[in-house]
Amino acid sequence: MARYGMVIDLKRCVGCNACAAACKSEHNTPAGVFQTKVLEKEMGRFPDANRVFVPVLCNHCERPVCAEVCPTGATYKRADGIVMIDYEKCIACLACIEHCPYRVRTLVRDRRTLYPDGRTPFEKPVHQKIRDNVVTKCDFCYHRVEQGRPPACCEVCPTSARVFGDLSDAASKAARLAREYAGWPMMPEQETRPCVLYIG
Amino acid sequence: MLADREKILPGDDVWIPTVCAGCYNCCGILAHRVRGRIVEIKGDPEAANSRGYICAKGLVRALDVHHPYRVTRPLKRTNPEKGIGVDPGWKEISWDEAMDLVGRELERIRAEDPRKLILSHFDIAGYRLSGAFGRAFGTVNMHWNRADYCGSASHPAWLITNGTLNSEVDFERCRYVVLWGTQLGHMVNTISLTAAAGLAEGRRRGHKLVVVDPFCSHAASKADEWLPIKPGTDGALALAMLHVMVCELGVYDVSFLKHQTNGPYLVRSDGRYLRDGATGKPLVWDLKDGCAKPFSDATLADPAIEGKFSVAGATVRPAFQVLKDYLATIRPEEMARICTIPLERIRRITREFCTAASIGSTIQIDGHTLPLRPAGIDFKRGMAAHRGGWNSCFAIHMLNLLVGAVDVPGGQRGVNPVGPYWSAGVSEDGLIIPSDFIAKYNKPYPGRTAAPPQTLDLQELFPAALFTRGLYPLGIDEPEKYGIPYRPEMMIHCRTNHMMNSHDPAAMAETLKKLKFQLSISLFIDETTEFADVVLPDAHDLERWDMFPANDPYAFIAPGPGQWYFLLRQPVAEPPGDAAPWTQIYLELAERLGILETVYRLGNAMWNLSEDCKLDPKRKYTMREIAELQVRSIFGTDFDMGRFARSSCAVLRPKTVQEAFPRMFLPSRVPIYLEYLLGHKQDVQKVLEQLGMQWDLSCYSPVPLWIPCAAHADDPEYDLIATNNKVPTHQFSTTTENLWIDEIAQANPYTYSVMIHTSAAQRRGLKSGDLVRVESRYGSYTGRLQVTELVHPECVLSSGTFGHWAKGLPISAGKGVNHNALLPKPTLDRIDILSGQIDMCVRVKVSKVGE
Repeated sequence: MARYGMVIDLKRCVGCNACAAACKSEHNTPAGVFQTKVLEKEMGRFPDANRVFVPVLCNHCERPVCAEVCPTGATYKRADGIVMIDYEKCIACLACIEHCPYRVRTLVRDRRTLYPDGRTPFEKPVHQKIRDNVVTKCDFCYHRVEQGRPPACCEVCPTSARVFGDLSDAASKAARLAREYAGWPMMPEQETRPCVLYIG
Repeated sequence: MLADREKILPGDDVWIPTVCAGCYNCCGILAHRVRGRIVEIKGDPEAANSRGYICAKGLVRALDVHHPYRVTRPLKRTNPEKGIGVDPGWKEISWDEAMDLVGRELERIRAEDPRKLILSHFDIAGYRLSGAFGRAFGTVNMHWNRADYCGSASHPAWLITNGTLNSEVDFERCRYVVLWGTQLGHMVNTISLTAAAGLAEGRRRGHKLVVVDPFCSHAASKADEWLPIKPGTDGALALAMLHVMVCELGVYDVSFLKHQTNGPYLVRSDGRYLRDGATGKPLVWDLKDGCAKPFSDATLADPAIEGKFSVAGATVRPAFQVLKDYLATIRPEEMARICTIPLERIRRITREFCTAASIGSTIQIDGHTLPLRPAGIDFKRGMAAHRGGWNSCFAIHMLNLLVGAVDVPGGQRGVNPVGPYWSAGVSEDGLIIPSDFIAKYNKPYPGRTAAPPQTLDLQELFPAALFTRGLYPLGIDEPEKYGIPYRPEMMIHCRTNHMMNSHDPAAMAETLKKLKFQLSISLFIDETTEFADVVLPDAHDLERWDMFPANDPYAFIAPGPGQWYFLLRQPVAEPPGDAAPWTQIYLELAERLGILETVYRLGNAMWNLSEDCKLDPKRKYTMREIAELQVRSIFGTDFDMGRFARSSCAVLRPKTVQEAFPRMFLPSRVPIYLEYLLGHKQDVQKVLEQLGMQWDLSCYSPVPLWIPCAAHADDPEYDLIATNNKVPTHQFSTTTENLWIDEIAQANPYTYSVMIHTSAAQRRGLKSGDLVRVESRYGSYTGRLQVTELVHPECVLSSGTFGHWAKGLPISAGKGVNHNALLPKPTLDRIDILSGQIDMCVRVKVSKVGE
């Protein structure tokens, strides 16, 4: 069985946020909600200061704490490694948000995106409608992956900094990059074993 | 109506290939249309420039088409009073009534003096159309916009050396990339998608990237070294580097200077060339024969670039020796103090650049042995938008020129100076001049003859400039002061926002009020459209056909090896209501005025239409038909237009090595000494005397000078220098009404903030989140403070062009700040007298106005 994951090349990423925009467009996420975004962290002191760009999303952990604490089974892990939320079952108890060490889950109070006059003239048909009062997060664009297409954020990335693939297949580009550049997970001490790895 | 709606590709659920206009790059995209509505956008995998990728700005544009505040009906102003915050009292009128109102005004002023009309837009795809319209109408006042936002000073530096308008670096081979006041390859600037990919590959391969910028921009954040320069002192840094290069290290490409530049041209003590009495050609000293010969003499074997020679009793020096002697007078310690970069660091960077250039190394490409110079510097608006902009650009570019890293593998290169139907030419003096097709309007070299101004942007007083569009307010406000023999009365305005992108809005409001009649062709009622007398609803660019190629190839087709590709912009959906593309409105107005035939005649030349594709004056053409003729001119009359149903991109053929790396194949030389400026200086001086004006013309210098900005003068009360930067999520102010982009910007700690350095904040008792007022002697803005280590301690920094207030822009209103509001209407001490570039930096003070 595949173990889907993503390798993010921090050397290539320029913080352009095309991934964040693509994700918004693909999932029509509610106002202010990002299933992926690019964190910017200031480092050092002038004149040796710098800013690092770190794209973040659900890590689709091999040991997803969020699924462990979910009381209704709304959060679950698929056999191919994708961690999912069943919005029908989610009761917005926030246990997952409290326990996710990566803070990549968001509570949705109002699923709409509104113009200031209250109108929502545009709504793209999306594969899974996010509802009011659920928790949402990245689903690795499973609807695309099932069609053999990469997640929207990977397809769009102008510098090819995000590579999706089967980490269990040594020949996949993602696995090869992780191997060649010794990919690392975020917060390994949490022992969640993320399937999103970073190289730099 | 000259509409061609019926030609939109059919289908209930289709992906339509077209060309993005989220910025000026013209990336190939696919737009998804479901039951008549555009729902999403992605990159076109078959488009050679985007290759399936797309940036945030382009991807989100499906939203803009459906923006509920779009103008969809013609509007007439009922309140004669105009001003900031004044309600125009819009009344919906019919298309015919609107066109009658506009047509009557146009007919009236055309009969009186057609120069009273100003054409104003920033839509590069339409410049040639509006250019043909303007000339047919009889006005010279074309293209008032803020194009000087980027390039009044920098474009000429490339036009006179690379023979083209824009610049890039050979990312594939370059080992030492310097980005100076630009973020090329970071999703801003030209050729953005291919440059971003090229630079990312380079980082992976291990090139060195150095970024010169007062702010740790996205580019500087990705750099191996950030050189945090004090705003506007780039010329000083460049001169220090030139001094180190030539006078301390003694590194320069002698062979390149001898054979590819005017370095050997002999210069008299008055700075002018020593010319051959018979031919008038500049003379050079042949070391082999020990005598002076015209530069083009077939027997010339070994031209001298150094030394002092006596010819016919006069002592003369080669131009390179003049430059070298000048650089010896530069005091690098003083330059280092001015730019605030330590001299030892300047020395090390210069040494690294010189070493990386590998002078003498060669590379084999397609059977040709070419120089390999894997070091290059690109530069743009950040360093150029200053009083000494032109001189600073030339000083920086001189670093490329002296190591021969220009239009050869590895180095800096112009964007396609040579193409399938254009080529750089050569002047009488043997120097490169851009083709007519590339230069389009003005050629900074050889330049024009200075004359009393007839044009409201005063361009006649800037004979060596490309364009001086930022100066329109001077000519509009006081034409008589400059001897302009008429007063402007009308403006056709679209796709540029003067109120936001220029200077103090109150001053701009006074300028706009001087125009009796303003037609705005607009998507939204923005700050400038609020001054319109009639508003016509513009189509979104996803709703229109466009000139083919959708953008001009000197700027937006990736330079270097690859293919010649051209893209067609075609509509994805019908415009709402009465909206129509502004280009079509221009054609309708031309028809009404009876000048359509002339527009066609001029257009045939402007669009480079082939003999069998020329417009027939007896016929009428839609924009689509004109675009089709342009396609057929390039690809042949049997080209199958049906191919554009699959991809907006059509590939003509691979580039030849001569087109990819033109320098060694061109018959021309590159100037390192700008002798021609001395002639222009005399001419301008004479005209100024006629007008009773006094300008400091010292910037007309054959060698690059350090010219400080007004903001560099001491002013203890206004103790910081304000400037701004570009972010990859925004393009001018055109992206600010997008909900998703706005969300991304709001989530970013810097985009909408005012930034000052930690030390500057501490001295003022300020902290992040404070509401602060930034105030110059001319204007102010109020915004949220972000205290940071990412900005030069003497600098106040903001991003983009934000801080809208128009009621018709509900998303962007009140978000972020507008740096331009700090600037005064251009004054002599804030203009580059050589290029017409406006100085964008200004002294300010910062104070807290709230938590």
